[in-house]
Parts: sequence; C-alpha cells; structure tokens
Amino acid sequence: MAKEMMIIGKRHPKLDGAERVSGQAIYASDVYLPGMLFGKILRSPHPHAKVVRIDAEKARALPGVLAVLTPGDIAAFSWDKCPGRGHHDMPILTDTARYVGDNIAAVAAVDEDRAQEALDLIKVEYQTLPFVLDPEEALKPSAPKVHPKGNLLGGKPVLLNRGNIEKGFQEADLIFESRYDTPMLQHVTAEPRVCVARWDRGRLTVWDSLQYTFGTQAGLAYIFKIPMSKVRVICDFMGGGFGDKIQPERYSVLASILSMKTGHPVRMELSREENFLSTHHRYPSISYLKYGARKDGTLTAIQARVIGDMGGYCHLDGAMNVIETMKAVYRCPNLKAEGYTLYTNKPEGGAMRCVGHPQGQFAQEVHMDIMAEKLGLDPVMFRLKNHARLEDGDQDRKTPFSSNGMEECIRKGAEAFGWTQKRQKPGASPGPVKKGFGMAIHSCRHGAMTVPSAGMVKINSDGTVNVLVGTADIGGNQKSTMAMIASEELGIPMDAISVTAADTEVTLDTGSSAGSKQTITGGTAIKLAAADAKKQLFEIAARELKTGKENLEARGGTIYPLGSDKGISIASVMRKAPAAITGRGTGSLPKGVVTYCFAAHFVEVDVDTLTGKVRLVKLVAAHDLGRTINLLGAENQVEGGAIQGMGMGLTEAMIFDKDSGICVNPNLVDYKLFTMKDTPEILSLFIETMDPVGPFGAKGLGEPPYSVPAPAIANAISNALGVRFNELPINIRPILEGRSKGSKA
Amino acid sequence: MDEQEKRPKEDKEHLKKPLDFSRRTFLKGMGTTAIATSITLAPLSLPPIAEAGPPPAVREAWIQLNVNGKTRRLKVRSHWMLLDVLRKELGLTGTKKFCDRGSCGACTVLMDGKAVYACSLLAVEADNRKILTIEGLLKGGKLHPIQEAFLEHDGVQCGFCTPGQIMSVKALLDKTPRPTREEIMEGLSGNVCRCSAYPKILQSAMAAAQRG
Repeated sequence: MAKEMMIIGKRHPKLDGAERVSGQAIYASDVYLPGMLFGKILRSPHPHAKVVRIDAEKARALPGVLAVLTPGDIAAFSWDKCPGRGHHDMPILTDTARYVGDNIAAVAAVDEDRAQEALDLIKVEYQTLPFVLDPEEALKPSAPKVHPKGNLLGGKPVLLNRGNIEKGFQEADLIFESRYDTPMLQHVTAEPRVCVARWDRGRLTVWDSLQYTFGTQAGLAYIFKIPMSKVRVICDFMGGGFGDKIQPERYSVLASILSMKTGHPVRMELSREENFLSTHHRYPSISYLKYGARKDGTLTAIQARVIGDMGGYCHLDGAMNVIETMKAVYRCPNLKAEGYTLYTNKPEGGAMRCVGHPQGQFAQEVHMDIMAEKLGLDPVMFRLKNHARLEDGDQDRKTPFSSNGMEECIRKGAEAFGWTQKRQKPGASPGPVKKGFGMAIHSCRHGAMTVPSAGMVKINSDGTVNVLVGTADIGGNQKSTMAMIASEELGIPMDAISVTAADTEVTLDTGSSAGSKQTITGGTAIKLAAADAKKQLFEIAARELKTGKENLEARGGTIYPLGSDKGISIASVMRKAPAAITGRGTGSLPKGVVTYCFAAHFVEVDVDTLTGKVRLVKLVAAHDLGRTINLLGAENQVEGGAIQGMGMGLTEAMIFDKDSGICVNPNLVDYKLFTMKDTPEILSLFIETMDPVGPFGAKGLGEPPYSVPAPAIANAISNALGVRFNELPINIRPILEGRSKGSKA
Repeated sequence: MDEQEKRPKEDKEHLKKPLDFSRRTFLKGMGTTAIATSITLAPLSLPPIAEAGPPPAVREAWIQLNVNGKTRRLKVRSHWMLLDVLRKELGLTGTKKFCDRGSCGACTVLMDGKAVYACSLLAVEADNRKILTIEGLLKGGKLHPIQEAFLEHDGVQCGFCTPGQIMSVKALLDKTPRPTREEIMEGLSGNVCRCSAYPKILQSAMAAAQRG
C-alpha cells in the first residue's frame, strides 16, 4: 500500500474558484483592448455552391471598415499540412461552400454594427450545386461530390480483421443483427468560439478560448511563416471545451490576418448560431452490428460496419473512432470491422467529449442488451462474462492494460443500484407511468499517458511555489489537479501554490486538454518537475540540517530529518539558496501496456406512456479512475459528464431541413439542453485501481462519464416499455410511436 | 473621438483589483499604432466617430443607470442590449453572453431586485433603474456568502455560467430566504450550465440558503 497522502484524494475547492465565482476571471471573451476592431465572417447560405464572383467594393468603401478579406485576398496564406490540425481539406476562406455557414469572406470594422453592415454590402454570386445530406446517399456513385476526390475518405473503407469472423459465427448459437443511428450534436460551450488577435511589432499575441494553446501557436507560426517564439497564445480561463476547441481554427487565423492588415487588435466572436453552424460537431453515425454468442453468453464474433458522417470537412477518422469501442470493450477472438468516413454537405463533424465512443457505445450497448435478453441472461452477467480483462488490453496488438477496474465497476455499481432486486421483465411495470431499469458499460483509451508531457515547478525565495503547466484548464479543474500533485510531491501546502496554465510564452507543451489525458500527462510532468525541485531543495536543506539528503522529508512546508519532528521551514531553506529553484519534468510513454478507463452506469427511469415523457430517477455511475486526485472535482466531472450524456440520450440533436440543407435549430430554445430540473439523483462510485503509469496511480476521468448514460437510458426505457429504440435521441415522439408497438402489460 | 475614447472615463475606477491589474498588463507594450512589418500593410488610425455612427434607423439616447450603487450616465444606441452596455461600455465583464437569446440565464442581473436576462433587455429600458451585477456582490474584496458557498461546494466547472447562477440564487434568497429544494430547482431552472454541474450548484444554493 502506498504511503498516506496529505492532499491527494481529499475534497479541495478550486484553486482559482474565487475568481470564477466573483466574475473576476478573465476569459478570452472578456478581453477588450483599446483600439480594438470587431471582425465578422460572411457565411454561405447554400449547402453546396461555387462562388462565381465576390463584389466587396461597397463594403471596402464603407467608413469605419478597415479591412475586407475574400478568398483571393488571402491566397498567400496556406494551412495545408499545418501542425496541430487534423484535416487538410478546409480552406481558410473558401470559393466552394460545402455547408450552410461555410466561411466565404471576413471584415474588420470599428464596431459590430459597422462590421455587420459591411457583411451585408458584400455581394456574392453563387452557382448552386446539388447537395447531399444523407451519408448513405453520399456513398452512391451518383451522389454530388463534396470534395473533388469523392465523398469516401481515402476512396475505400478502412478494414480491420481479427481472428476468423466466419468461424466465430459458426460457433455462435445466437447471431443478431441490427442498425443504430446517432445524430449530429453541438458542444454548446458556454463561452463561444472567440479570440482577440494583436499583431504588434512583429509579434502576434492571441487570447483565445482553447483546449490546446500550443497547437494554435504552432499553427499560426506555420501559416504566417514566423517563428514560434514570436507567437503567444493565452488561455487563462475558458468557458468549456468538450472537444470543440482543440485545434487552430479559421476565426483565429482570420482575426490574426485582419490584425496584420489593419495594425489594430481584432476581436472575432462567433454568435451562438455561428457556433452551431461553423464549428465542428459530434458527427452522426450509422452502425450496422452483427454479433454472435454461445448459449452460455460467450461472444464469438463481432462484426461492425460503421459510417461516420463528417459533414463538409474532416479532421479525424470518424468511423474508426466509433469502431474503437467495438474493438476494445469486449473480449472477442473474431472481429471484422469496416469503417466508412465520409463527407456530406452538413457542418463539420469532429471531436466531442470521448470522440466517437458515445456513438459506438450507444450502438454496442443496446445491441448487447438485446442479445442478453434473447439469450435469457441477466445483462449484468452477460457483461461480466465478456468484458475485456486486464490481460486482454489491446487485443489486436496483444498488449495488456496497465490496470482494469471493469469488473469492480460492474459489481459495485450493480450492488449500489440494487440491480438484482430491481430487475424486471420488459414492460412488466403496471400503470401508465412505467418504471424501467437499464445499464451499460464503457471502456476507452482516453485517460492515458501521451507526449509531449513537460512541466516546470518554481520554488521562490519565500518558499512559495509557481506551477507552470501547458495544460489548459477547460473547467475540469486542471489547475487544482496540478497544484495538488505538486503540493503532495513537495510537501508544501496548497495555499503556497500558484498555477499558470496554457500560456505558450511561459509554460511547456503538454498536449491538449482532450482525451481525458491531462491528469496523467500534465500530472506526470508536474509530479516529475516537483520531484526535481524537491531534490534541489533537499540538497540545500541537508547542509543546513547536517544530514544526508536521502534522510529528509517535507510536510506542511517544513523539511524534517526522517523520524524527527524538528525541522526547518522551506522558506528558511530558500533564504540559503543562491537562486530560485526551477524543477523540470518530462514524462515519457510507458512500454508494454495500454492505459484505459472503465465505467459502468445503472439507471432508473419513469416513462409516462400517455405523454411520452421520460423522467430520470437515479443514476449510479461507477468509474475506474486509477486514483482520485480531488474527490470534489471527480464527483463534479462524473455528474456533469453523465448529465451531458443524458442529453445525448433524450433531448439533443441538430435537425437539418432536407430541402435546403439548413440547420433549423441552431439556438438554445430549439436545441434542448438539460436543466437542473431534468437532473436525477446521481451516485458516483470511484474504483481505485492504482494505475502503475499515472501520477500517484491516477488515470483520466473527463470523458468516460459521457459515453455510458445514453445506452443505459435506452436500455431502461426499453425495459419499461418492452420496445427497443435504435436511434437517438429517444424523445417524446419515438416513445409515443414505440408505445403502440410495445407490450400491453 | 475614437473607439477608445468612447469608453466612459471612470471605467477603470470601478474595476476590481485583479481585473484592473489584467487591464494594465494588457496596456503595457501596447502601442496605439503597430509598427509595419513585411506582413502588415501601413498601420491605420481609427476613423472619426462621425464616420462610424449608428447604422440607418438606429438612434442614440442618453440613459442613466445605477449599477452596483454607482450612477452612470451614458450614450447608448437604441438597439443595444443591457448586456452589451455592461460588458463593453462599463467593462463589467462578469456578466456573460452565452445563448444571447434569453434562454440560458448566463447574463442574469438584478434590476430593481428582480432577476432579468440582460441579453434580452434593451439598454434604454434600463434607464433610471437599479442594476446589480456579479461584481456588486463583492464587499471590500470579500466574497458574498452565496459566492463562498459556490466556491466551497464546487458549484462551478468552467465558471462561465456561474455569475448568472449566483445572481439567480441571490434573487431567489432575497425573496424567499428559506427556500425548499424544489423552490431552488425552480428558481435556477432558467440557468443552463453546459458543464452540467447541477448537483453541485444545487448543493451550493442550499448551503447558501442555510447561511442566510
């Protein structure tokens, strides 16, 4: 057993919480500079069109308009092969619109009114083209081509084979096939996409709401052919990311160009509607699953054909990210998967919390639930029988997991929920309001160690500490996590620690705050940096205490010889130091293991068969997070992630008009987010597997809570009604339609 | 007069210390005209305000606001919302713009003691009214008990909706000092938290109610 922790695992309020609750925190959207101009982007009203001609003369001549950019004006700036960006198919400004909202031109003016007037004065002549919204239509040879190379990325599906799928089906007593659909979702970060760019004497400074400032720094340096040392990107506070803000984006590039052209700082803030149209989104998916199992419940074959609909542009292999869950969650010797990642004339699909996995797990967990029912098995026992074990790990590369708490998640979650007592036959609940119980599990490669992983810890002459970390605090309590890790390692209390995060000028790159990875990636860097600083500190302290440096320990800001309660304060040690101490840490990838996060959720619902309304009663969420760093923050992550996942299950979807290609609900009135009143009681259970890779045994936690509720809710509603639902969201309409097909109990 | 001068002169006085400090930091090294480099075109100064007057059919009016106990007289355009005036003209950026359509509550302020969405209220409608924003809850740099409760119970994730949540709790507790759990949920149902910290926000509000 590890030694007792002073701060790790405790409930600690946010290090920067006072700034957040007092309205003093400065987000990118709060940066207003003297002389600042306001930028706006002209967007395509057509889902697919060629720009024949742009007449911007009237806009250019409008007083108060300082710059107008059309595709021709910025032809010199290319971001082909730009670092930090996943895709290479998107122009900064385009002369072919690929979705409603695509970026055609940009302006900068003295205020927003004038910028809007300028946009209205730009006359664009479009040649409209046939468009395609349905991904299966897009696969047909006759479909309009969104990009010249065709709609299927790479021209052919990505294939994956493990074992012998035919043999797997021959061994099966039950073979079950079905199709599952998930819609396009928006992150709806509270803070919109927003930046202020200032080009000043050859230096570019950008305040931006970003999960990865270093990615945007590298991207801007690349595009403008200026050294990275001359580009500073700052994100001290940000209003939510959820995967939306992971890479350099067009608005930041355009604001920078406009600042270079005008000599003024330029602010570019997307409206809420623009956030719905022209950022990226959780991409829609279609999964055709065919699984085989023996009578005893052993899975023998997993076959998946998955379509990832990436809209007009693509920055990741959408289909394969969905397929990852089918590869990883269950142990199965025979697997065949085909991934079709393709273009349509919809807004861009891309990363959103647990990229691809919520789509995949909705499909897989509903599929598994139906199979359990067909086999006459308890869904819990069916999962316990088949989940991937510690030694399974990456089943294609034959690499074991570094830790695996899945079994404990399922068992402890089921026990806390009272699964055995509550379990009922589908549709067995009497009366018009029917109770239903459902569960689902999830595991994913998110929350693992990545590189770069570098950090600095500075001990000042007064014994206080600055933690300098590249990790952006996106609301996941990252600053506190880093401070707690440094505090534990150094034996210095939390109130002596300050954290500077994600400022590219003074911190080191630890990758993006995405993929649940910063607790382990940034945390490892800071733990190593703190250990390095402590080593230097102990060398000085050893001289003062006239003992060996290996005989020292630090507690509460004081250094003691081991076993002694007479020590000297770190502040007084630092007075003897020739200079402030800088500790540096660089983490590296582990060898021979893969780190995964594991989760099991159990949910109780009341379904009103007269109104079609679903009330969530209770959720039990069990998560293997390696080790809890901050119990308060961990609960908050699980609760918040799960509630977002409930929205995916019940209310959220971007809806497109088939005739015009326009998204008809790009606002919070018509795109339904959960409120406090929709939220059920949530019980979080933390399974501590003490992962050997992570700092103090910790793994990630940010994303997995999102991926499990939607299928668990779908299974619970099915349990209530005796009808299956294969498409999200399961809102009033499908429930009322499905009710008539259901059991009459 | 240029854009810079349009800001009220007292702008900096009311800014609380951390914000003030940040502003000064921003100002340092910030030339009013950037030096041209190979990439920039010639630097331009802002055009006279006459050239950047209000758009057609928009009028200007003088209004008087009492914001956080201070009286402000300022010229606004007829279509400006209270939210934009608070943020851009008065520098009170604690009040946030999230949905910008009266459906998320991030811009909640109190007007004559009542919670309102500042994004959906014309600035001219606030003429001669008393406005309380999140900045007005701090007393001598000390957090208000509701803010303390949110800090202690972690009723915050990214914090962007938090000022609005706290102002809604303030409006509720002013009217109903001992609310039930259901009354709190009703009182906060107009405030969206996309991070969905709702369980912790509820705990924070209940703790604030107990503190009285």
